[in-house]
Amino acid sequence: MGVTCVCQVPLAEGKSVQQTIDILHKKLEQLSAVKQGNFTVDCETYHATGNGATTPTKLLYVMHNSETPLSCLALFEGGPCLTADGNFDVLMIKLKSHFQNAKGHKVESRGSRYRYCDFLIKVGAVTMSSSARGISVEVEYCPCVVPGDCWNLMKEFMQSFLGPSIPELPSVFATKPEGLYVPADCVDTMTQYLELFSKVRKQQVLPGTTR
Amino acid sequence: MTVFMRRSSQRAKKKMADAMNVGVNLEAFSQAISAIQALRSSVTRVFDSLKDGMKNKETLEGREKVFITEFQDNLQSVNRDLNELERLSTLVGRPSESHPLHNSGLLSLDPVQDKTPLYSQLLQAYKWSNKLQYHAGLASSLLNQQSLKRSANQMGASAKRRPKVQPSTLVLPPQYVDDVISRIGRMFPDMSIELFRPNGTSAVLLVTLGKVLKTIVVMRSLFIDRTIVRGFNENVYSEDGKLDIWSKSNYQVFQKVTDHATTALLHYQLPQMPDVVVRSFMTWLRSYIKLFQTPCQRCGKFLQEGLPPTWRDFRTLEAFHDTCRQ
Repeated sequence: MGVTCVCQVPLAEGKSVQQTIDILHKKLEQLSAVKQGNFTVDCETYHATGNGATTPTKLLYVMHNSETPLSCLALFEGGPCLTADGNFDVLMIKLKSHFQNAKGHKVESRGSRYRYCDFLIKVGAVTMSSSARGISVEVEYCPCVVPGDCWNLMKEFMQSFLGPSIPELPSVFATKPEGLYVPADCVDTMTQYLELFSKVRKQQVLPGTTR
Repeated sequence: MTVFMRRSSQRAKKKMADAMNVGVNLEAFSQAISAIQALRSSVTRVFDSLKDGMKNKETLEGREKVFITEFQDNLQSVNRDLNELERLSTLVGRPSESHPLHNSGLLSLDPVQDKTPLYSQLLQAYKWSNKLQYHAGLASSLLNQQSLKRSANQMGASAKRRPKVQPSTLVLPPQYVDDVISRIGRMFPDMSIELFRPNGTSAVLLVTLGKVLKTIVVMRSLFIDRTIVRGFNENVYSEDGKLDIWSKSNYQVFQKVTDHATTALLHYQLPQMPDVVVRSFMTWLRSYIKLFQTPCQRCGKFLQEGLPPTWRDFRTLEAFHDTCRQ
């Protein structure tokens, strides 16, 4: 549980989502990374049906991560967040009157998980209602807990297999470069995923993408 | 005469056996073997004729004459064969004088070579042990050139007068050790040192370096015995609440740093002034505060095989990758 960076990788020239993912897998295997199974991150959206809502409806996001299979995270965008155990989903069903599930807006990222030395790399296809919308890459450097310390190191590593498309410093890090990264509940990681999913939701469906 | 014949045939046989070590003149060797067989059969004939006794003839004289002539013929053939054998045995060759294994060399005569290769294994074992002895002699002469004792121990006294007194630097009052450690802890603001005494008088230090790593240093009075480095987010306590001084870190980078720290504690040696040694070691360890931020001084990169520069030079405290250091 260390510093994590989540970024979106653009598709390679003239290739589909699956083909670009295969290219990334090959590059990782060339680095002698070892595949260690699969991962899933998903996000469901709930509209807050407030009484006499003059303010715009707030969106509540409930996210799950296969790294922490027994918990789930509920957060408002840019607002407070809550970590709960798996039964929270059942609770949300019971709170139907206050929070309505926007069923068509469920976004998830699924893919394989690789380990290279002290790095954990997860390459996943981002899908929204069964249509592939993009590729997410999560890189975690486990030994370090301060993002400001190891950002250059992580950038160098990402350059080795992502090529020129390296992301800039995530906004989560910009706020607390010297602070302690909170690994226990993955809040910072999930915040980054949320940003990525929001971006993907706003995008048009990619032309010529296959399922 | 029979004793003489037996002895000479035994001598010839020994020469045959020894000839195996020489391996020359196999032609004469095979001829000598057939000569032995001839000699044996002629000796047998002598004894047979003696056993048979006199043949049946008319007169006693006739019988005696026939017996004597037969006996003489047999003895002469024995003599001939024996001379032939002696001639051949000189041709076969002398045995080699150098017997590396003396009596064990006779093991080479065992015909069952495949099932019990005793002789060849024995030779290999001797060669190996001789080489080992030679190398050990070289190594000990090289190692004795540098004194490897870290404590100031006067072991030069004769065996009779065993000094029962322990060297002064190994028996220090715990209060003194505490003082030294706390003084060093105050020297460095970003490094905190906690002292525990879980087992007797040996101190165990938990050194926390910024938010980068935690080190457990096991001491023996003021000498550093052992060190183990783990990540900041790893657990230093074992299940029963005590300091876990044995399990390695989960991360490869800190396993490497542990190895380097062990090298460092062996490098910094000053038997008479152990507190200077501890201070130097802590100064060296403090250079790891920027473990993830510093690129390697030699290649300029951050990562080499997935590891940041983990080596810190003992004099200049510069960062190098393990594979980049000279």
